[in-house]
Amino acid sequence: MVRTKGYPAALDQKLQDTRLHNDDSNPEFTKNVKAISRTTAHMCYQCGTCTGSCPSAPRSTYRIRKFMRRAVLGLENEALTDPDLWLCTTCYSCSDRCPRDIIPTDVIMAMRNLAFKRDIIPVNFLKTVQSIYKTGHGVPNNDVNRAAREKIGLSRDPPTTHMYPEYIPGIQKILDHYNLKANSDRIVKEREG
Amino acid sequence: MVEKKKTTTKKTETKKKDTKKVAPVKQEIKKQAPVKTGPSEKPRIGVFICHCGTNIAGSIDIKDLEAYAKTIPNVAHTDNYQYVCSTPGQKKITDAIRDQKLTGTVVAACSPRLHEPTFRTATKEGGLNQFRFEMANIREQNAWVHMHDKEGATDKAKDTIRIAVAKASLLEDLTPKTVPVEKAAMVVGAGIAGMQAALDLAAAGIKTYLIESAPSIGGRMSQLDKTFPTLDCSQCILTPKMVDVGRDSNIELYTYSEVDAVEGYIGNFDVTIRKKARGVLTMAEAEARGIIGGGCNGCGDCDPVCPVVKPNVFEMGMKPRKAIYINHPQVVPLLYTIDFDSCVKCGLCVTACGPERKAIDLEAKDEFIKVKVGTAILATGFELFPIEKKTEWGYKKFENVITGLEFERLICASGPTSGHLVRPSDGETPKRIAFLLCAGSRDNTGVGKPYCSRFCCMYSLKHAHQIYEKIPGAQTYIFYMDIRSFGKAYEEFYYRIQDEGTKFVRGRVANILEDPKSKNLHVYADDTLLDRPMDLEVDLVVLASAVQPSEDTNRTRKLFGVSCSMDGWLLEAHPKLNPCGTTTAGVFLAGVCQGPKDIPDTVASAEGAASAASIPIHKGEVELEPYFATCIEEKCAGCGMCVNLCPYSALALVDKDGRTVMEVTEAKCKGCGTCGGFCPGGAIWMNHFATPQIVAQIDAFLLGGEQ
Amino acid sequence: MSESKFKFAFYLGCIAPNRYPGVESASIKAMKKLGVELVPLKGASCCPAPGAFGSIDLNVFYAMAARNLVLAEQMKMDIALVCNGCYKSIWEVNHKLKHNKDLRDNVNEVLKEVDMEYKGTINVYHTAELLYNDKFIGVDKVRDSVTNPLTGARIAVHYGCHLTKPHKDREFEKEVMLNTEHPVWMEELVAALGATPVEYRNKMQCCGAGGGVRGYDIVHALDIANEKLINITEQKVDALTDICPFCQLQFDRGQIEIQEKFGVSYNLPVLHYAELLGLAQGMSPQDLGLDLHGISCESFLQKVL
Ligand code: SF4
Ligand code: SF4
Repeated sequence: MVRTKGYPAALDQKLQDTRLHNDDSNPEFTKNVKAISRTTAHMCYQCGTCTGSCPSAPRSTYRIRKFMRRAVLGLENEALTDPDLWLCTTCYSCSDRCPRDIIPTDVIMAMRNLAFKRDIIPVNFLKTVQSIYKTGHGVPNNDVNRAAREKIGLSRDPPTTHMYPEYIPGIQKILDHYNLKANSDRIVKEREG
Repeated sequence: MVEKKKTTTKKTETKKKDTKKVAPVKQEIKKQAPVKTGPSEKPRIGVFICHCGTNIAGSIDIKDLEAYAKTIPNVAHTDNYQYVCSTPGQKKITDAIRDQKLTGTVVAACSPRLHEPTFRTATKEGGLNQFRFEMANIREQNAWVHMHDKEGATDKAKDTIRIAVAKASLLEDLTPKTVPVEKAAMVVGAGIAGMQAALDLAAAGIKTYLIESAPSIGGRMSQLDKTFPTLDCSQCILTPKMVDVGRDSNIELYTYSEVDAVEGYIGNFDVTIRKKARGVLTMAEAEARGIIGGGCNGCGDCDPVCPVVKPNVFEMGMKPRKAIYINHPQVVPLLYTIDFDSCVKCGLCVTACGPERKAIDLEAKDEFIKVKVGTAILATGFELFPIEKKTEWGYKKFENVITGLEFERLICASGPTSGHLVRPSDGETPKRIAFLLCAGSRDNTGVGKPYCSRFCCMYSLKHAHQIYEKIPGAQTYIFYMDIRSFGKAYEEFYYRIQDEGTKFVRGRVANILEDPKSKNLHVYADDTLLDRPMDLEVDLVVLASAVQPSEDTNRTRKLFGVSCSMDGWLLEAHPKLNPCGTTTAGVFLAGVCQGPKDIPDTVASAEGAASAASIPIHKGEVELEPYFATCIEEKCAGCGMCVNLCPYSALALVDKDGRTVMEVTEAKCKGCGTCGGFCPGGAIWMNHFATPQIVAQIDAFLLGGEQ
Repeated sequence: MSESKFKFAFYLGCIAPNRYPGVESASIKAMKKLGVELVPLKGASCCPAPGAFGSIDLNVFYAMAARNLVLAEQMKMDIALVCNGCYKSIWEVNHKLKHNKDLRDNVNEVLKEVDMEYKGTINVYHTAELLYNDKFIGVDKVRDSVTNPLTGARIAVHYGCHLTKPHKDREFEKEVMLNTEHPVWMEELVAALGATPVEYRNKMQCCGAGGGVRGYDIVHALDIANEKLINITEQKVDALTDICPFCQLQFDRGQIEIQEKFGVSYNLPVLHYAELLGLAQGMSPQDLGLDLHGISCESFLQKVL
């Protein structure tokens, strides 16, 4: 959060107090991340093995180790509002090598879950939800593919929800249980009008 | 002293009735108790509750506990104190015994392992027999494990105290036995720790058997080149000690030998040494066989003729050796060894050795030698964790990834390359060298070791220094998480190494990949201080591999009845106050087998162990806990079934007054209770763990809530 | 082959049936020849996409995956699938639910609304694992089934991430499958088809598509794939093989996008191992719908047909 000094806006922004203060930390955040990720997120000793393993790090400012530090210190706002949060490819290379036996990838997933609770989420994620709500598939069939399937001796639609749409209401019920469709629609609308 | 009476049985029965805890079965058991010395008057027990600062008081309600203790039958006095083990705390015990005419004491505090001796002494000083004391452990087994449940912990402490009081009410006077101590000691392992301990013991006039499983002594330290932070050469400071060991008349050296069996107890260990078939006779052995002037003189004539080539383990496999070999020219003893696992028995060496010396015996067998010692020191050392298990660093996959110990051999003037550091892949001199600290240490994944291996930081600094000494224009990188330069003059050494040009990268290496053509290595890591991932190309990588107990440690420690912690290091009696002792009386630990140590700490530990091991020997006798089985002869039917059950062969059948009865050799009995629990006639009484005492404890627990 | 020794419920996922149908038909036919019958898992949905759903709400992720698992439980059949991403959802959720009562109870509370109950009665396998594990098929049988060996073809392997990582949470009977630093079991499978497996730098790197990154920041995702493509094409290979249709999409369609966005092209054919196996067992490129691939497989086919 910006700590205002009461200067004109531009100066306030430029000269903002960047020190870490007690109230930057939310101990609940550490606990929540641990609970959702089901890994010992608070045990990171900042060795850097994760970032050294990360395919996303060398081409961006994304640093998994930094998110781990934020998990330890409870820096909720800083973690959840950082756009780099969405650059983890979930390759689990870091998790394979972390000497503290933490699963940093799942820490990222937990933080993303917490971000979503604040409506922080890239729209492409929500579009997958919308697609599944409608068809049961994140990547649904199309006509070119239907023709190709037929040509190679497969049914035009696979024996999934595509061939058996009667299964779709069940899926919708599950998603509605979590209010996911409504939330997705709302957020997509807010973003894209 | 409380007067001895002979009606224990009756009294306890009465007492039990008083507390409404009598069941017919139990009465019967009571009747089996022999007429022995014991409390005659109604028991009067004093209960002393220790706060242990906040260790106990922090998680147990002391007030509530004491109030409860007052209600326990037979309790005549209660008290509590911040540290009962302190002088004022102990005085409370001695005073109460006198003033309150107590017949027994219970201290609710830490583990008996720590302070049982303390409170026994206090009990004795108060005028009671020291065995009238019972400890209730409410710290290790309660306060520390139930830190967040004060109510539950307090309830449990009540149970524990009630149980202890039940036993204390039935305790009897016992007299400790003393046994003489054999004036000899054994040291297992002849690395720097074992050698130092043996030299100290020998200097104190004690005959010392030094057992080493390798063909020669010197251990890990003899593989090292220079030592930090002084940079003196390991060989130069070690060789004189090796020579001293070889010629000390008080030291009987057994190389290529291991401990095969251990019997007995402090003061009287009977140890069987297995001298592995070596196939080569010493001069003395030759003489004993009537070959005058024969035996191995270390000339090495056998070596060139032997057709079998094997990797030299001392050189970390980087140099070959024959089936008949010495590890290096400076070995002590200078005596060849045949590796019978690879020897093809062609006999060429026998011919080369010749008819005068006749040192080689291809038909040699293992020999077993029995010795008696009063005390023993384990100094079994360490080996490297098999770092290839951390597959991300490619050890054993990429040729130019080596371990610190391999580096020592490669940089050592007497090593396989005569001290020229080269890349294993092409023999070139490496110019860019990366050192990886915490390779397998501080690792909680299950593959690797959770502890700090303690000397890798420092030897890696030394390695970096040695590169600058030998390779002009080289660049070294040390990848570290923390530099632990805690010893005397260590931090100054760190300063010096950084000044010499080593780049310290604060980041644990994620993985290493090899360029298949150049065999150069790409080190991937996060420079955490720069917050930037890196891909560093180097010519050689040195892994500061974690250490673990040496291979034979576990077998050896079991023979001596020594425990180990989860990670395999041998367990000291107390981590701070008794780091050289073990929970087996008369057995001590020296050096790294107890946990990673650098050379100064290892030597200090060895000297400590030697000193501790010499005390009982110099005293000449030791007191044994009188927890023996005794035979109630009137009840013994002489069936003899117990005789075979006893794991320590302490029992025998004898004729007494025309009857066959069992007899216990107290010095052999360990009080394990196997016989006592078994005897169908209830004729065996276990001192201090007698059936009525144990039954009373169980009753106190099971029926306790009804009180 | 008349009688199949093993039967599995065939969980298709999305990309295989809807973008690379050859993977579906090749899997069914090839596995049948190897004594494994793949039975349609009717009404299955998206696994659901672990990147998207896992990021939004893990509870939904668990519930949706559990629904697919229950469909197979009702058939009393173990699941076989062809995609690493699906493996992450289906295998991992099955594993988590089996071992954590709290998660299982949560999931069943939701499933109750659709008259389902997760019981934890089945196992989940990737077809690559069935092919490699001789308890089911094994490399030798795969080799024996080859009628059209892919001799002379140099093939690089992309393992992908989610089948074997994080290895500490995975359980494979074949322990070599837990080696996530320098594995060679896929190379063994490639060699069994008569082709030459080719090693390349940083083989285990991810394709870059997962975790929603392909949708969130396409150039970032493509740059990761491009790094791999550089390393692979350095070795002069004829094709890249994978065991994950999503990785395949990233490398196959991705090459077109890389051409568009970065101006470099590789024309590297990318085939799922099932497609390779189909070819080696004599299926025609047409049977496999290889013309649907973004990058033409022609150069490769010329080499092996
Ligand atoms: S690898 Fe593990 S311990 Fe090391 S910085 Fe990353 S999360 Fe922390
Ligand atoms: S799982 Fe995410 S954070 Fe971990 S290495 Fe892969 S991309 Fe980086």
